[in-house]
Amino acid sequence: MSETVAISPGSTPQSAALATAAVVMLFPAYALPVMHLGILGQTASDTTILSGIVQLWRQGLGGLAAIVFTASFLVPLLKLGGLGWLLLAASRKKSKANPRRLTRVYAAIDFIGRWSMLDVFLVAFLSGAVRFGKLASVHPRPGAVAFGGVVVLTMLATHQFDPRVLWAEARRSDANNAVKI
Amino acid sequence: MAERGRLGRQAALAFALAGLILAIPAALLPFVTLGKFGRERTTILTDSFQGFWAHGFESLGIWVLLCGVLAPIGLLTLLVAVLSTDRHPALQNLNRQLRRWAHGVEYWAMPEVQVLGVMVAFFKLGDVVQVFVGPGLWCYGAMSLFTLLAWRRFNLQPRQERVALLSGRASS
Repeated sequence: MSETVAISPGSTPQSAALATAAVVMLFPAYALPVMHLGILGQTASDTTILSGIVQLWRQGLGGLAAIVFTASFLVPLLKLGGLGWLLLAASRKKSKANPRRLTRVYAAIDFIGRWSMLDVFLVAFLSGAVRFGKLASVHPRPGAVAFGGVVVLTMLATHQFDPRVLWAEARRSDANNAVKI
Repeated sequence: MAERGRLGRQAALAFALAGLILAIPAALLPFVTLGKFGRERTTILTDSFQGFWAHGFESLGIWVLLCGVLAPIGLLTLLVAVLSTDRHPALQNLNRQLRRWAHGVEYWAMPEVQVLGVMVAFFKLGDVVQVFVGPGLWCYGAMSLFTLLAWRRFNLQPRQERVALLSGRASS
């Protein structure tokens, strides 16, 4: 019953590799258009993640723009920033960071991760539903693939990271203190 | 404590069964009907997957289908299986295995995010097309809610069962 699982030594480097790939994918994800909207009588336009948020804001939908901005822009950046912090703390042999706090950061990253899929579902729904030929149509663009890649990679990186490594140093110092006593 | 655990288990089973039953009309009934200049187009749940697939973004289409449809239905099925087998001593090994799968699948099941994505799409469409919500979307929204409730109840089960799960993890 008290059997425990050893921390996999590869979990931190694997998580770091996935997080690095996600950082690389961030650039095309935000720079490339995620969808193309064509409406009869209006100029066809490509929409990026950020221009989509601006459009919502201009339509007077400030609250909705804030939700999309949080889910599609802030959350991926916070996740990658948080993961970077955790990976740095895990790689230092003598980290001064509080493991309890870091574990809370990990739990938060794990919780918010899925909400970045909002824009992918949005483009999927629009490109599947708005198919009226020349009257109105929505087509996905390569930015959607890059953004989907960011979401998948950050989720995999979080999943791969083993938060128990954050406690390893605390355990070692506890064990040393016990030996001294 | 035992009484609370029993009720929590029964509630989780009831929510999971309700979600699983709702998954059928959610997948088959009209999701949304869009209208433009007298032309109408009715979509079903899986049209989101086809939207990507038809434009050459197959991997993204599969990803959307997985997170929005297959994983939630798989999770509900696993929850029903776990909660139906946890009181049979002969099925404990199977039960532990099913629990591990449920925890693995839950990570990728995101029906609530898809519901929010569709809501944002409605606002984004604005005056471009007329939108009529179909019964499929209502059922999918309810399924999403029941999935969340079932998972929450499942995670609030008594400690003994969590210990059993952890020891199952340890033996893998």
